[in-house]
Amino acid sequence: MRNPWTRTGNYKTSYAQDTTIFATYSEQASLVVFLVGMLVLPRFLVRGDMQILDLILIYALAVLGLNIITGYAGLINIGHAAFMGVGAYTAALVAPHLPFWAVLPVSGLVAAMAGAVVGIPALRIKHLYLAIATLAFQLIFEWAVGHSPALEQGGAMAMPRVVFLGYKVGFKNHHYFWYYVTFVVLVLMAFAFRNLLRTRFGRSLVAVRDNDRAADAMGMDPGRTKVFAFALGAFYAGVAGALYAYWSRAVVIEDYSLMISIKFLAMAIVGGLGTLVGSFFGPAFLELLDINMETFSYAIKEIYNPPGVDVGSAIRPLAFGLAIVLFLIFEPRGLANWWRLLRSYFRNWPFKY
Amino acid sequence: MKNKWTLWALAAVLAMGFAAAEKVHIMWSGAITGPTSDAGKYYAQGIEDYCSWANDTGYVSGVEFVCETRDDQYNNANTLRNFEEAVDRGDPVFLGYSTGGTLQLKPLVQEVGVPFIPASYHIGNIDPPDNDYIFLPIASYSEQVIAVLEYIAKVSPGAKVAMAIHPSPFGRAPVEDAKKAAGELGIEIVEVQEMAKGLDYTATLKRFENKGVQYIVYQNVAGPVANMIKDAKRLGLKVKHAGAHYAGGPDLLRLAGDAAEGFLWVTAYYMPHEDNAAAKFVKELGAKYGRPADAIESVHYPSGMLAAAIAIEAIKEAGEAGKKISAESVYQALLKMNWPNKLAVGPVTYSKDDHVGVDQLRVLEAKNGTFLPVTEPFSSSLFRKVHYGK
Repeated sequence: MRNPWTRTGNYKTSYAQDTTIFATYSEQASLVVFLVGMLVLPRFLVRGDMQILDLILIYALAVLGLNIITGYAGLINIGHAAFMGVGAYTAALVAPHLPFWAVLPVSGLVAAMAGAVVGIPALRIKHLYLAIATLAFQLIFEWAVGHSPALEQGGAMAMPRVVFLGYKVGFKNHHYFWYYVTFVVLVLMAFAFRNLLRTRFGRSLVAVRDNDRAADAMGMDPGRTKVFAFALGAFYAGVAGALYAYWSRAVVIEDYSLMISIKFLAMAIVGGLGTLVGSFFGPAFLELLDINMETFSYAIKEIYNPPGVDVGSAIRPLAFGLAIVLFLIFEPRGLANWWRLLRSYFRNWPFKY
Repeated sequence: MKNKWTLWALAAVLAMGFAAAEKVHIMWSGAITGPTSDAGKYYAQGIEDYCSWANDTGYVSGVEFVCETRDDQYNNANTLRNFEEAVDRGDPVFLGYSTGGTLQLKPLVQEVGVPFIPASYHIGNIDPPDNDYIFLPIASYSEQVIAVLEYIAKVSPGAKVAMAIHPSPFGRAPVEDAKKAAGELGIEIVEVQEMAKGLDYTATLKRFENKGVQYIVYQNVAGPVANMIKDAKRLGLKVKHAGAHYAGGPDLLRLAGDAAEGFLWVTAYYMPHEDNAAAKFVKELGAKYGRPADAIESVHYPSGMLAAAIAIEAIKEAGEAGKKISAESVYQALLKMNWPNKLAVGPVTYSKDDHVGVDQLRVLEAKNGTFLPVTEPFSSSLFRKVHYGK
């Protein structure tokens, strides 16, 4: 008889067992413990830490979207920050007229429409050519915003202060409030992401990624699948953009630039392309690396600061670049693979096999 | 006997307590690496050195300044994090940097009421809404561009002018005001061109030539400006170049070489080669704190010094008024500030309705590899009319 709390191997006797999210009760329990832990976490963190945590969660949401487009569907996307920007600017335009909980899906839907349009070239081109098409969208987005007086030509569009159930969000509670909002949204969208591969559409994504001609021969519609992948990924980015707009209190074009798109790709690679946990690990690793390298760079400056060479300042960008290169060389499956190995080890513990 | 020593020890401890200076933190968040870091690194050094000088000379009695220059890598999220950290710590004033970062922080600055002195001279920083706590060290880009247009109108009445700007809010800020001012001055702005990040501006320059452009006015940073004026020289165009604060300066001379000859540059800072107290002060500080010649020559070095100087002067005035040093007391001191500083061509003056520190500017011209003033310090006569309608 199987023990419902643990697994001793990879023995599955039905399709339902193969596609289940939780193979054992202990997995369910650990998730509940994790979620409760995340809910009480703000009690142990200061405001400054909350700000960083919020940013990681918002970026995780955006990277989830990128993982649908690039990780699942295999469509290289260098314009993901622009999708996020579409969501952010939509939020800035509709926020004075709608409550924040309505702004988030509206921003996601507008970004999804932009994603579907950008996905149209994917019907005819792929690989590097598609990457250039998404790059073009990124540049068109920046140019269009820069020439739109209604969008302050890329200058700041202030977000209104939120009042929710009589609770007024101000400086002291800002990051706490947006943490809980982002957390709830992220959990819901992460569950949707996790379930995506259990659906017909999710399996089509992977099939099209692996071989679109074979997928076509098996009755799938590669074109529609690709466009839908862009739309769905952009929806995630759009919601992340709206959350970022509220979190940063104003929308400025620089927050949705090409550099941020590249950063998202780096997060997806470091975390592990096409994985759920990688979408959390990537942003967390790179953001925390940057902050720690910042502290380290100041320490270096105190110890060694030769004239003409700013060694301390150079360490931060160096660490970012080095992290990506090292992961690509030594662990292309990203941190998600380390997580998998760690779980495997403890699943069988204390037995070796 | 034992009691006597105890009393002496107690007195010594008390004396040390009274003598210990109050530590006042001033944080700057800007680009030491990343985009615009060529300006940011010298700006940061200017802040550090002025703070060190203030501490070394005991400029503000009973106060020890702890100045932190944070590298935000031109990333607004980092700027936000740094600003909030400063607010949480109770810093009485904050020094900012980029246009985007400042514009994004405006609502928060207004909410927390901490005076904010940016390196960006974008007029939108001090235009409503949320503009009570932001103070520009010198006249805005808009005022700088109008000042140089006034000079052009004076030396070349009816001139045809093109504007070449950075493709961002920083670049676009002065365009509308410049167009209005040109109409008043009887000169014509025939084209406004956003400068792509290319290295060859032949097509743009040929179009300017076909339109009979006599002057190109830049609102950009020195790098792209240098590329364009070098191309203009290569093409043999008979066009003069002019630009606002960040477009010119010794950095431009270094990058463009003799192509910069004749460049008209408007700024509020003195040049290190000038024979005056400001130049002497900048050079002395640079030498004292071991800065390389490039830093001392750069206009961004005294720019950073002025930002720090305004903050420190406001703290000094707040202390002299007998108030506890806080964001509110520093804000009140800034509103009353009328300080004949050591660094710029005019006094730093602020009031409730005027958040521009140094109102005066000079036009300088590049001659034989150096910028020489061609005007006395002056204030734009048209800026207020075209921007505020008064």
